[in-house]
Order: sequence, then structure tokens, then C-alpha cells
Amino acid sequence: MTTLRPFTCDDLFKFNNVNFDPLTETYGLSFYTQYLAKWPEYFQLAESPSEHIMGYIMGKVEGHLDNWHGHVTALTVSPDYRRLGLAALLMNFLEDISEKKRAYFVDLFVRKSNKVAINMYTNLGYIIYRTILEYYSGDQDEDAYDMRKALSRDVNKKSVIPYTQPITMRELRQQMRHDV
Amino acid sequence: MAHQQGMDSALFERRLRPVYDNLEVGNNRKALQESEKLLRKHPNLLCARALKGLSLLRLGRYEESHSCLQVVAEEKPVDDSTLQVLSFCYREMEQLHKIVELYQHAVKQNPGNEELLAHLFVSHVRVEDYKAQQAVALQLYKAQPKNAYYFWSVISVVFQGIRGPESAIPEKRKLYLALAQRMVDKHIKEGKLETEQEAFLYLHILKLQNKYQEAWEFLTGELCAKLYPGAPVSMKFELLKELGNWKELNELLQQLLEADRDRWDYYKEYLTSCFELLKKTSSDEGTENYTLTTCHDFLLHIIQSSERKTRGPYLARLELHQRMRANQLPAQQLVGDFDQLIIEYFLLFGDKSCCTHDIALFLPSISMEQRQALAGRLLVESGISSTTLPQNKEHMQKHICALQISRMCGVHIELSVDHLLALYTALKLHYEHGYSSFGKQLLSTEMGPSDPYALLAANVMYDISMREQKSDQLFEALCLLQYVLRNSTSNFHVKLLSLKIYHMFGCMLGAQEMYDYLDIKQIQLDSMGYVHCNLLPLSGRFSGVRNCYDSTLKFFTNSYKERLEYIALTYRFCTFSKMEEFMNFKERLTNSLLYVACSVEAQLCDLVSCYGNVQQNLTSYVAMTIEPADDRIAWNELSDNRDLEAIIRWDPLHLVDAEAERKESYDQEIEVLQLRSLLLRLFASFIDLYHAPPSAKLALSNAKTITPAPAEDTATLELLRESWTGLHQRLRLMNYKPLSQRFLVNLQPTRLHLLLELPYERFFDDLAQLVLDLYTGASQLALQCKRVSENVACVMEICVQTITESNEWNGVDGLWKRRTHQQKVAACLEILSLYAFLLSVLNDKLQTSTKTKTKKKSSGDNKSQGTPHPISEKERSQMLQELMRQLKHKLEACDAALRIWKAPTLPRDLSSFMADMSLKPEVEATLIGDVSATFKESHELMVTELRNLLKDKIRIVGK
Repeated sequence: MTTLRPFTCDDLFKFNNVNFDPLTETYGLSFYTQYLAKWPEYFQLAESPSEHIMGYIMGKVEGHLDNWHGHVTALTVSPDYRRLGLAALLMNFLEDISEKKRAYFVDLFVRKSNKVAINMYTNLGYIIYRTILEYYSGDQDEDAYDMRKALSRDVNKKSVIPYTQPITMRELRQQMRHDV
Repeated sequence: MAHQQGMDSALFERRLRPVYDNLEVGNNRKALQESEKLLRKHPNLLCARALKGLSLLRLGRYEESHSCLQVVAEEKPVDDSTLQVLSFCYREMEQLHKIVELYQHAVKQNPGNEELLAHLFVSHVRVEDYKAQQAVALQLYKAQPKNAYYFWSVISVVFQGIRGPESAIPEKRKLYLALAQRMVDKHIKEGKLETEQEAFLYLHILKLQNKYQEAWEFLTGELCAKLYPGAPVSMKFELLKELGNWKELNELLQQLLEADRDRWDYYKEYLTSCFELLKKTSSDEGTENYTLTTCHDFLLHIIQSSERKTRGPYLARLELHQRMRANQLPAQQLVGDFDQLIIEYFLLFGDKSCCTHDIALFLPSISMEQRQALAGRLLVESGISSTTLPQNKEHMQKHICALQISRMCGVHIELSVDHLLALYTALKLHYEHGYSSFGKQLLSTEMGPSDPYALLAANVMYDISMREQKSDQLFEALCLLQYVLRNSTSNFHVKLLSLKIYHMFGCMLGAQEMYDYLDIKQIQLDSMGYVHCNLLPLSGRFSGVRNCYDSTLKFFTNSYKERLEYIALTYRFCTFSKMEEFMNFKERLTNSLLYVACSVEAQLCDLVSCYGNVQQNLTSYVAMTIEPADDRIAWNELSDNRDLEAIIRWDPLHLVDAEAERKESYDQEIEVLQLRSLLLRLFASFIDLYHAPPSAKLALSNAKTITPAPAEDTATLELLRESWTGLHQRLRLMNYKPLSQRFLVNLQPTRLHLLLELPYERFFDDLAQLVLDLYTGASQLALQCKRVSENVACVMEICVQTITESNEWNGVDGLWKRRTHQQKVAACLEILSLYAFLLSVLNDKLQTSTKTKTKKKSSGDNKSQGTPHPISEKERSQMLQELMRQLKHKLEACDAALRIWKAPTLPRDLSSFMADMSLKPEVEATLIGDVSATFKESHELMVTELRNLLKDKIRIVGK
């Protein structure tokens, strides 16, 4: 039972019960403000009937020509509101917006070790498009899966033909530069 | 020169590079050298001069920087790099109007230059000059007919109508909004509307003028569908409501709900539309009959036709029940028995942790008796009794939900202490059972499924502690929480409650550990600062808490610097839907009460603990740039950014009024800030009287007044002293009640009562008189000295007595009063430390002036015949020496007391805890050992720090 609404600046003061979760990063203000200013409709929040923040999704739309796609930057659900299908609801929302913006596909990065998340995205129709080596830096660098789901505009599902070889961060950056 | 620059711009860029590079890495001294080197070769290179100004600014050489930048500005530069550097400097110095001037000159010389005009526009945005924004946006559009520029001017017109200085005048507001609409209308007619944000803006303008029909037509029209396919459906709700078109709203929501069966926002609007249709039916005879049966049938239809059970329609049914009762309609007849509906809900969704929040929504609408009866039934329905244990995780969650609800219904609060203890034991056992049965194979990022039992147990133990006014049960709760934390390292609820308890017991080290464990950062420093940072002042540490202030202040100052760039960003991306939101956010963030309070406390803390010689201390004092005459706090704008909901609670709903609690504590925090900022300013005025800050000297020399009349230089001090006593008088009259401490989650008491109880008022009031008398050499000086030393003796007495009392309490209950005792001691030492700093400064000044002035004095003194002679500077100096000698003795007495201050004895023998905990013995031993060690170490750290502080004060007054 959820209210979906755009994330607002004021929510930054109230999202602690979500952000205290160890898998949720609290970014610097400029990160949030950039997303809010540039892709306001891609930053949505799920609120409970008691007006608690249950979770939120943060994303963007970018790329050239047939690489024009929606991207999920962060998706998080408060521990109190798990197993209610909330992540799916938020993902649907983002896919829907991306459809309306005539994007070809939606993609996201996930830690290779995060089985729960990978499983969930697979159930939502995402495939592992490729592996990005050492995408997450930390005490121990970790690879990421780049997962994708084609949208209706990509009639021939060209965007979801998986890579067979993993790519490095350098290659990824080069591709992104090429894109923007 | 522009010519010269144009020709060699690439060359100059290469030459400037080292300056930029050095600035970037913070090597400001080298940057200065490089820029000077460059200027020797090319004295006319403006950008090099501007960079020199920036380097000087970064080095803190403000006056030189200022004149350097002034020279560049007077040249009216037009090249981009120079302008960028200059505006960067002005932004740092908060001289935003100068950026406007800068670009105005540049545009004048290059009319129609798009880039310069865009910079000029943003410079107006920074100072919120909407009228000027509008004009520049139109110039931009003329220079480059881009839609963005056109809409910059439209939004600037809108803001003149709703935010600018004229927005308060209804006619003006109307005119501006009408103009904005015409501008967009024209654009639409010409077929030039291009983006969704432009469409949003048009809708917004129509709504601001209450033109809902037009807005509806546009929203549902072809153009909007094309440009703004993602328009939120809530816009439709809003407009249909405004238009009173309940039927259409009702139908739309039925459609939406068929597709999306779990949307609370839809159900809420749907129910509203149903009740409105009902109202209409009863008032207009002509319309077709509407009854709530239709609504109820629709909800039943959703329930029956859903394959997967979602909470939505069930909650909607409860909401329907609640709203019908509120309207005196026969809810039971139509929807059924309320208790039965709740139980049905519980049976379906009780295994989800959100079920408690859901049911709690409907409890306030029923009587206390009904609540408690219902809670009892839920417990029965959960199928757990004193002889049974949960069979699986889901079963356990249901039990947890029923227990949480019974607490919310006030069942626990009525139990006797024995019953509460039994409840605690049961909760503890359930925790342990749940942990060993269902909580073992968790990821480190998951919370233990039985953790909520322990959280409830901690709350129950707090209830007992409050009733008995003893700490032992709460201490045991702390040990239990620490045990849970070992099993469930990511449970932030446990960390927050432990943090709370550590603070209540004055254990700074434990609190700091929990705070670090929570990994609070960025904006959380503001919204969560109340759990730790705000509790640090006078907690018993001075330098030990500085780190926490620093990281908090760093966040705030960075955000302050960036605050306007966020808004500029919304213009760059033409995000009209977010502009007002960003502007309000900026206000909220920069006026955070915590920001201001933390700055004041950090400054007081620095004055208390400055460790250098007199000259060094004065230098750091000057660097603080406290301006006593100037109250820089925007009291009416202060903002409460605390996220009080982050700490979970299940306290009885009828005894909790979160909003009232928030307001009460906020009001008191503001008063505390009044006291503290006034203390800071008053104290600064003492110092300034003898050691005028360079800025004041500068102002004096600029104004070319010779020396101020004697009355003027003491005016600030006297004014502040009046405010000081006036404020205390008012606060005593206000008679604030200490914040309620009934439940564990209640906010910690503010320092207001402590500050009023201790002799702050008298001490600094008398000190003000002493400072004045010393300054003028008034005849009552000796008397005033006596008063002040009596005050010093009194503060010392309080300090020593408090420590004695604390040691005595150790025999009864070592923790219950610990925090209060520590706060009192810290406050006494704060007072004495400030006094010591002041005496050292006065002594320094009097000694130098007696040396230089003795000759002059002897000739001029004869003039003042008839009036009593001022006491000679030599005598004053001697009196001061005496004060210092006395203070030294008192400080030594405090130190002697500190030396014998005992670490808190924990309320009971550790062995009896172990017997009580009935957890695994080997775990308990290390656990209780760790917690006890934290208390002991925390005390030792505090005593060591306070003794070092005293040692240093003894040193500075002992010279």
C-alpha cells in the first residue's frame, strides 16, 4: 500500500530510516541536487499510509540514438517495508517513464555478490548484459553486472544481446564519453 | 590590451596554467609566487592579477586581496577567464552584488554576447532579483532565440508575482501572472512550445491564477499529451477536485485502481470522491443517487478479484469504516465489525513488519477500552502464549506485531513492576529463541528477525527504571542491546537506542562509538545531529567533542557555499518544477538551528580550551571574528531539520504527541541558543574593550574620527550586559518545564534548566561590572573584585560539591545522576576557564599600559579635581594580580576534587547481571565486561581531559 510521488529536497531531511540501511549510500548534496534538477521525474519516492518513507528510486535518461536509455542509479527499500513488491513497483515506474521518453532500454549496475538483487532484477525481466571488471572499489574491488531490459521501442531487442567478454572500467568510460 | 590578449590568448593560458594548478591542489603560497612572477613580465595581464587576488584570499590576506581584486574590477574586464576568477572570489566572500556589476560592465562593452549575458542572468539569480532576471533573459532571447531564454524570462515574471517584493500586493501578483500566461500563450500560438518543463510551467501559471478549467483542457489536450506524456496523474486529481468534478474523478480512480491495486494515494482520493458524491446526492435532488454501497462494493470487488493479496483494498476498507464513523454514518452496518476487520487484516498481513504501522493508523479513532480489548484479541490470534513458541519466522513476526500494538494501546503502561519484569524476561527469551531458530544464517547487512523483541524489551526496562528512579534495569537493557548488536551488526535501531542510553548515563565514549557505528554523514549530520552532536556541549568533554562539531560544521559550510549553485542548476536545465523547492530548501538548510547552535558551541569550546600563551590565544580569538555588537543570527528564519521519526517507537498513542514534543524542545533549544550566543558576545565584548579587533580599528581609521568618546567604547558591553540580565529574567518568568522523560525515545532534556540553575547570570553580570570598573578605574573597583572572587568561590564550591555528591551517589546508584553531575562540573569549569582567559588578557594589557603610560599619567592627572580620582593603573594591576592568585587557588581546589572523582560503579554486581541475562554465559562475560570497560574508560578520559584543562588555566593565571 503505497503512495508514489516525486522525491523532493525536503525528503532529504527525512530519509534516515531508509538510508541507515548498510547497502544504501548517503551521497553529497550535489549528487542529489543534480539528479533532482536534471531528471526530476526519474527520482521517485514510495510513502506508506503512515507517511513514512518506504523507499525510493533515483535514475536518469541519457545516450545517443539507439543507446538512448533509462538508467537506475539507486534503488532502496527500508527494512520495514521489504517483501511487499515495492522494488518492483518503483522499477515499473522508471520503466514506464522511460517508455514515455521513447528510450530503447533500461539498464543498471549491481554488485556481482548481491544475489538477492540480481535475482529480483531477473524476475523483473532483466538479463545480465555484461560484466564490468572492478567497477566497485573498496577494501576489495568487486565486479559489477550490467543488467538490461529492452523497452518496446527496441523492436528487435538489439539492446539485450549480451556481451560474451567482460569489459574493463577504462573501456566503459570510453564508451560513455562516446555516448554523451 | 584586449587586443594583446586576443592575439596571445593561447600563450597566456599556458603561462597561467601553473597558477591554476597550484590553486587547485591548495598550494596557495606557490600560486601567489607564480602569479607575481607572471605580473612582473606582464603587468597588464588582468587574469594574473585576479589570480593573485584569489591566492591572497585563500591565504587569509584579506586586505591585500581586496585591493588587488579592486584594481582588476576597475579595469572592467571582459575576458571570460578573468571574469570567472573574479566572480569566484566574490562568491567566496559573499559579495554577490559585485558579480552583478562585473557582468553588467562586461555586457555593456559586448552587447548581445550570449555567454556574458547568461553569466549576468545567473548573477541576478544568486541575489534573487527577479525583475533584473526578466530583463536579461529577454536580451538573451533577442540575441539567441532559444526557448530556454524565453522561459527564463517567463519564470522570472512568475517569481515577481509570487516571491518578489511586490508579490504581497494582490493586484501586482495578478498582473505578473497574467503577463506570464500571455507570454506562454503567444509561444503556444506560434507553435514553439517544446519541452515538458515548459508545459509544466504553463499549467503552473494557470493553477496559480485559479484557472483550473483552462488547466484541465491543456492537460488533457493534444499538445500536452505530446510534450508531457509523463505528467503525473495526481495533477488530474488536483484539477478535478478544484473543479468539483467528483464524478469524473471517481470514475478515473476506479479505472486506475483496477490496474494498480495497491496505491494508497489513489484509494485516499477515491474515498474522498465517494464522500463528496454522497454529499452532493443529499443536497441536490436532481442528481442520481450515490450511496457508499457502491464504494464498498468496489473495494470488495478488488479484494475478491485479486489473485495476490495486497494490503491496499483492505486498508481502504478500514479507512472507509473510519471515515464513515467520523461522519456519523452506519459503518458497522455497511462495512462490518471494526475489530473483526482489524483481526482479518492482522491474520492476512501480520507477518509483514509494516503491519504495526498500518493498524496503528486506525487506533486513534477508537476508545481506549476498545483499543485494549483489541490488543488482547490480537495477542490471542497470534497463537503465542506463555507456553508456546513461534514455529517459524512469519509466526514470530505476527507475535511481534501483536506485542507492538499492545504497547501502543497502553497495555504495558498499566502493568505493575513485577509484571513488567516478567514481560521483559519473556521478551528476552523470545529474542534468544528467535535468534537461535531463525536468525543464524543472515547476511551481515540484514537485521535479525527477532531483534524487535529486544527493542521492545529495552523500552519496557526504561519504563521500570523511570518508575523506580533507578538505573539498574536500564543498564541491563543496554547490555542486552549491545548483545543484539553483536548478532545483528546492521540494526540501526539498536544503535540509536544504545546511543540514547549511553548519553543518559553520561558515557561519552559509548555514545561516540554508537554514533561512529551509525556512519552518519552529509545531510544526515543535520537531520540526525540531535542524537549526538547537539548533546555534546557541557557533556564533560571540551576538546574531545571538537571533532564532531568540526565534521558537522564542515558539511554546513560547504553546503552554504554551494547553496546558490544548486539553484543556478535548475535554471541551466530549465527545471521549472523544482525551482521554488530548491529555493526553500536553501533557506531551510542554511538556517538550520543545529548549524547555528553548533557554530556558537564550537566557538565557546575554543575559548574555553585555548592552550597557548596570551598572544597566541588572542590571535585565535581574533580569527573567530566574533562581532559582539552584531547579532548575526536570523532568529525568525531558524529551521528545525531534525528527523525525529528515525527513532522507532511503540509508545502508547494516547500519551505521545510527537508534534508538541518537537515544538517544546525546539522552543527550548532556541532559548538555549539565545543564552549561549549572548554569553559568547558578552564575553567577546569584555575582550574587545581591551583588545580592539583589527576590523574595528580599520573602521575607525576609515571614518577618520580620532578617538571615540569614553562612553562609546563601553556601550556595546553595557548593552549586552542589559540583554544578558533581561534574557535571564524573561526565561525565569517563562518557567519552561523540563521535557517529559516518560519514554525511552523522548528527547533528552535541553540544557536550559542547567544554564539557569548554575550561577551563569550573576557571574557574568558581575564580571561585566568588574571589566568596566577596571577600564575606568572606578572607585568601587575593590568592592567589585570582592564580589567576583566570591562568585568564583561559589562556582568552585558547586564543582567540588557536585563531585562529592557524585562519589556519594556511587554507593547508591552510580549512573542515575551521572549525566547531570558531569554537566554541572563541565559548566563550572567552562565558567572558570573563560574567566581565566579574560584575566590573562586583562593582565597582559594592564601590565603593558602601566609600563608605557606611567610618565604621561603623572602630568595630566591633576585636571580632574572635584571628581574622585580614578584608581591608578598600578593599583588596578595589583588587584588583578590578586584575582589571579585567588582563581589559581580555586582551580587547584577543583583539580583536587577531580583527582578523587570516582568512575561510576555499575548499579549491581556483574555476577547478578549474568544470572539475570540467562543468555549464553561465555558471551555475557565478555559483553558485560566490554560495556563496563567503556564506562570506566569514558570516565577516565573525561577526568584526564578536564584536569589537563585545569592545569593549563592554572598555568595562564599563575604567571
